[in-house]
Amino acid sequence: MGDVAAIETESLVKRFGDIEALRGVDLRVEQGEFFGLLGPNGAGKTTLIRILATLLRPTTGKALVCGHDVVRECTEVRHLIGVVPQAMTCDLDLTARENLDIYGRFYGLPKKERTEQIDYLLGMIGLEERAESLVATYSGGMRRRLEVARALIHRPALLILDEPTLGLDPQSRYVVWKLLEKLKERYSLTILLTTHYMEEAEALCSRVAIIDHGNIIAVDTVEGLKKSVPERDRVELTIDSPPDVDPVQAVKTLKEVKTAELKEGVLTLTVENSQRELPLIFEALRKEDVKIKEVKSTHLTLEDVFIHYTGRPVRDEARKVSFFIGAGVPRKWGR
Amino acid sequence: MRRMFAIIERDLRKFLRNPLVMAVSIVMPIIYLLILGNSFLGELKHLPIAVIDRDGGVYAERVLKNLEAIERGPSTIAIYRISSEGEAMRGLKEGVFKAVVILPQGFSKHLVKRGSTEVGLFIDNSDVVSANTLRTALLSALGSVERDFIAVRERTHGVRVRTVEVHPKIDYDQTLIPGVVIMAIFLGALTTGVFNIVMDRFLGTDESILLTPLTKTDIVGGLVVSGLIITTVLALVVLGLSSLISGIYLWKTLTLGGFIGVVFIVMLSTLSLQGLLFIILGRADHPRVVGVLGGFLNVILFFPSGAVYPVESFPYLLRLFAWVNPETYSVHALKTVLFKGAGLNAIKGDILFLAVFALVSIAIATLTFKREL
Repeated sequence: MGDVAAIETESLVKRFGDIEALRGVDLRVEQGEFFGLLGPNGAGKTTLIRILATLLRPTTGKALVCGHDVVRECTEVRHLIGVVPQAMTCDLDLTARENLDIYGRFYGLPKKERTEQIDYLLGMIGLEERAESLVATYSGGMRRRLEVARALIHRPALLILDEPTLGLDPQSRYVVWKLLEKLKERYSLTILLTTHYMEEAEALCSRVAIIDHGNIIAVDTVEGLKKSVPERDRVELTIDSPPDVDPVQAVKTLKEVKTAELKEGVLTLTVENSQRELPLIFEALRKEDVKIKEVKSTHLTLEDVFIHYTGRPVRDEARKVSFFIGAGVPRKWGR
Repeated sequence: MRRMFAIIERDLRKFLRNPLVMAVSIVMPIIYLLILGNSFLGELKHLPIAVIDRDGGVYAERVLKNLEAIERGPSTIAIYRISSEGEAMRGLKEGVFKAVVILPQGFSKHLVKRGSTEVGLFIDNSDVVSANTLRTALLSALGSVERDFIAVRERTHGVRVRTVEVHPKIDYDQTLIPGVVIMAIFLGALTTGVFNIVMDRFLGTDESILLTPLTKTDIVGGLVVSGLIITTVLALVVLGLSSLISGIYLWKTLTLGGFIGVVFIVMLSTLSLQGLLFIILGRADHPRVVGVLGGFLNVILFFPSGAVYPVESFPYLLRLFAWVNPETYSVHALKTVLFKGAGLNAIKGDILFLAVFALVSIAIATLTFKREL
């Protein structure tokens, strides 16, 4: 494939009546990347995924998967992608093996290849022993792992996961993360992941795009995104300082300290990297005989980056929108 | 083709894992047979009538005896001897009686002296079918009284009708069997085929099918064929059971050719209904739509099909509808093969119509099927 991008979109627009779900999205995801797409519900990420998965046609613009146009070459694209949709879509009345076998046949895989791939995938997701049980008897985490295996049955070049851990308990979420990390390490697979969980994107993704109101508003590595915002790590020190000492002045002499403020015996500082700079701060205060009673340090997170770019926390939005969905928003509106 | 077989296998496996659906699909048409067969039965029974005898004469007594003979024999009526006219009329208004018969004072005397007399019949005409039957029963009871006053010789030139039944005697509930089989086919077609698409859409699982390289033909064709297999088996089981219940032993009366003909008609009827339902429900995304439209379609296709009432007796517009209704041809073909023992030649028109209908409707269903969300 050479330097052909795994995903490439140009001025991608999708309208549902008067609603403009995508407003000219330009995105390039290279082969082998683990790419995260962050955005609140209604931001357009599911619409974007559905266009890439050939489930929706763009209104205008172009979308290519491994160089194939999603509209004109939809059959080729369907062979190249594996998708784990947001909803649990495995057949509950079938066993895990039957689910995988039937989907393998949908892709036209010969029996021998199918059987080998099914055994391998069942081993990878840790469901060999439950392979002959009906999926209806599975937990949410087991079903999600099966969904991932099913999306890989035909060895796709691009794996798309739409909120793969939504609704899972922390333990099941951890198991799915480990599975995705394993995929990332072992295969030259390109992975596109949408998520509400910032820690998920931080832990798994090599690059992240923030999408809001149908526009991509930032794309970079997690570290790059953190650097792009003015906020820094935050340190809170509860101190006891001699009356003639100004602790704010004492720490402001350090170039690493961006801001300093004293309020009711609590010195609040913003710094580039709290772990690296705390010893210097301690030393500066000790020189002035300032006693440190308590230390609190908070790191800049992707959530902070998200708030910086969108003006709101992603989970609050998620809760609001999920209530909205419950009221019956049509699926075609890209929930 | 291999992909279509995967759709068929998926659907069959899912169906076989739901024994309740299978049981209901068989039991419901049989219940139709039992209810229709035992409620209509082609004739009415035990209609309550109040009789007031103010005459007490010999002919009044004879009329009463005739009425009692009807009560004991065909059991069309149940007689209640009432002395109070007010009580009888109140019972009529309240629905206790279907009719009140009053034999007036002087009934016998007038009959002897004038050769004619009158009987009072107060009838609940809100129930037209019962009213007509009661009128006929009363006239037959009076008939034998009339005959006493007609000379025997006057009857000698009467035209007598000798009835010859061309087919073996068929009871009313047996005549319902083609309808019951069609009902089973309709229910089978409604709960397979397009219903799977609607349920997948409702549950959001259609997305996983649409993500694969399956074509429209694979999806629609696979679901139609799995529905055909399930429905044909169910309809044949229903045919066997309903024949046993109504006392027709098909293994004695049906030839191998006849049986093949029945299977062929069942399959073509299933394909026609599958195609029709796919066109109508192909874009529905809630099972409630299937429930509402399914009930409506069942009524408008079943009753004008000739399964319960002859098509020839319909008003003109309804006959036009019956003419394009695939169930009409299915019922006609099944009746012809099951009751008349006719060969394929007698039903070739039905087969041609059903085959063309099935082909055209499935082609339209495939073309109009939405392959995207």
